[in-house]
Amino acid sequence: MSRLGDIPIRIESAPASVEVDGGLGGGVSAILHEVVRLLEQLAAADEPAAIDLRSLPMSPQDRTELQRALGEGEVQATLNAQGVSTIRETRVPGVWWVEHRDSHGELIAELIEVTRVPQILASATDEILAGARALREQITLGATVGRC
Amino acid sequence: MPQDHEDVTVGEMLRRHGVSRRGFIKFCTAAASAMALPPFMGPAMAEQLRNARRPSVIYLSFQECTGCLESLTRSFAPTIESLIFNVISFDYSDTLMAAAGEAAEAARTKAMQENFGKYVLIVDGSVPTGAGGAYCTAGGRSAVDTLREAAKGAAAIVCVGTCASFGGIPLADPNPTQAWPVTGIVGDKPIINVSGCPPIPEVITGTLLQFVTTGKVPDLDEYRRPKVFFGNTIHDRCYRRPFYDQGKFAKSFDDEGARNGWCLFELGCKGPTTYNACATLKWNGGTSFPIESGHGCLGCSEPNFWDKGSFYSALSTPAWGKAGETSPSEVLKIAAGAAVLGVVVGAAAAGVGRMRQHRQEQQSVDNEPKGD
Repeated sequence: MSRLGDIPIRIESAPASVEVDGGLGGGVSAILHEVVRLLEQLAAADEPAAIDLRSLPMSPQDRTELQRALGEGEVQATLNAQGVSTIRETRVPGVWWVEHRDSHGELIAELIEVTRVPQILASATDEILAGARALREQITLGATVGRC
Repeated sequence: MPQDHEDVTVGEMLRRHGVSRRGFIKFCTAAASAMALPPFMGPAMAEQLRNARRPSVIYLSFQECTGCLESLTRSFAPTIESLIFNVISFDYSDTLMAAAGEAAEAARTKAMQENFGKYVLIVDGSVPTGAGGAYCTAGGRSAVDTLREAAKGAAAIVCVGTCASFGGIPLADPNPTQAWPVTGIVGDKPIINVSGCPPIPEVITGTLLQFVTTGKVPDLDEYRRPKVFFGNTIHDRCYRRPFYDQGKFAKSFDDEGARNGWCLFELGCKGPTTYNACATLKWNGGTSFPIESGHGCLGCSEPNFWDKGSFYSALSTPAWGKAGETSPSEVLKIAAGAAVLGVVVGAAAAGVGRMRQHRQEQQSVDNEPKGD
C-alpha cells in the first residue's frame, strides 16, 4: 500500500443533500451561482477568477453532482510538469476544471477556473525568447555540420 | 548550497534544476491552496518569484531538537523541500550543509558580508544566556553572540518553532540554562514567530514564501505570529466543535463518546486557547491532525505550553498553572462538574483560562531581557 488513496474506506453516513435548485444540493447550487457571477464578470471586465475546491467542505456526492452539472466540454489538456495535471473545459465555455497531481499521483490542488484560457497553458515571453534562441542555435549547428 | 549563490533569478535557478515555469506555477498553486490563500495568489506568486533575485537565507540552530528542520525538509509534495531550496539561497545551516568546521563558518561570514541588510535570518531553538552562554556553542562562539552578530545584517528574523519564538521546552521551569526566545535577545529587527512544536511545514514555507514574494513582514498577532496562519484557535476550526456546542464530551480515550468523535475538552484538549492552523492545513500533506487521531491538542504553539499543567487536565480545572498543583482526583472531580454543567461552564472556563493564560504570558514577555 503505497498511497493514501489505496487505504480502503467506506463512508457510512454521508450527509443527505438539501435539494434547492432543480434537484441540486445546497452546496453545489451555491458554487454554480458563484460560477455564473464569475462568468458575467469575465465577460464584462475580462477578469478571470478561480474557486479552490479543496477549501470547500464538499462530500463526495457534492463533487460528483458538481461535475455532472458542469459536464464535459471540447478541450482537454494534459500537463506534464512535476507530475500530471489535467485541464478540462466544461460544457460551459470559460469554465475549466483543473486538477494538479504531484509526481506520486496525489491530488495537490483542484480548482474551477473561470477564464478564457488557464494561465498555466499559455507560453510566457521569456520562455518564447529562450526557445527562439535555442532553435536558432540548433539551426546554426545543423548548418555547420551540413544537416537540418 | 553555497556553490549556487550567484546573482541569478529564481526562475533561472529553477530552470537549471529542471523545474519549468508551468511546474513552478503548479507548485505555487498547490502551496496557495494548502495555505488557504486566494486561488489566484499562486500564479501571481510564481510570476513574481521567478523574476526575483534569490534571497540569501541563514539558518541558525541553537537549543533545539531538530524537529523543526525535520518538519521543513519533510514537507509536502510537490517536492517543496527541493523547490524551497532553489527559491532561496540557503547559505548556511550547520545541520544540513555538507561543509563543516572553519569552511562552514566562513560560508556564513561570507553570506552575511555579501548580503548585509538583505538576508533572512532563520533561528531554530532558544538561546541560553546562563554561564556566559556556554551551554550552546559552535566554533568556539556562544549562541547568544552568534545571534547578535547575525541579527545585525538581517532584513528580518523568522523564528521557527516554539523554542525560538517563546523559549519552548528549554525555558520550561526551572530553565536551567536561562534560555530566552529571540525576542529576549534582539530588539531592533522585524521578528516573525512561526511557533509550534514543530510548526506545520506549510506554515514555515508559506511564511518564507510570503516574505520573499512581498518583501514585507505579514500582519502579525500579539505574539508576532502571522495572522493568516494563527488567526483562529484550533477549537474555532475543529470538526468536533459541533459536539462541544451540544455539550457532548468524551470522558476517556476509549469510551463511547471517544468512539463517536465527541469533543476532547474534558480529556485536556487545549484547542480553545491555542492559535494555529492544524485544523485547516492539517499534517502529512493534509492527511489529519492530532484531534482527528483521537488526542487532544497540547497547545504547543502557545507560550509556556510546557508549564501549564497536565496535557490531560481540562482547561476548566485550576491546573492552569504549574504542573502538579492539582491532584488527579481533583481534576476528575472538576471535569465531572464541567460535564454536568456542559457547554456553559466549558465556554466560560475556557474564556477565563484564556484570560489568565494571556495575563501570565504577557507578564512573561514583558519581563524578557533585551540584550541588544
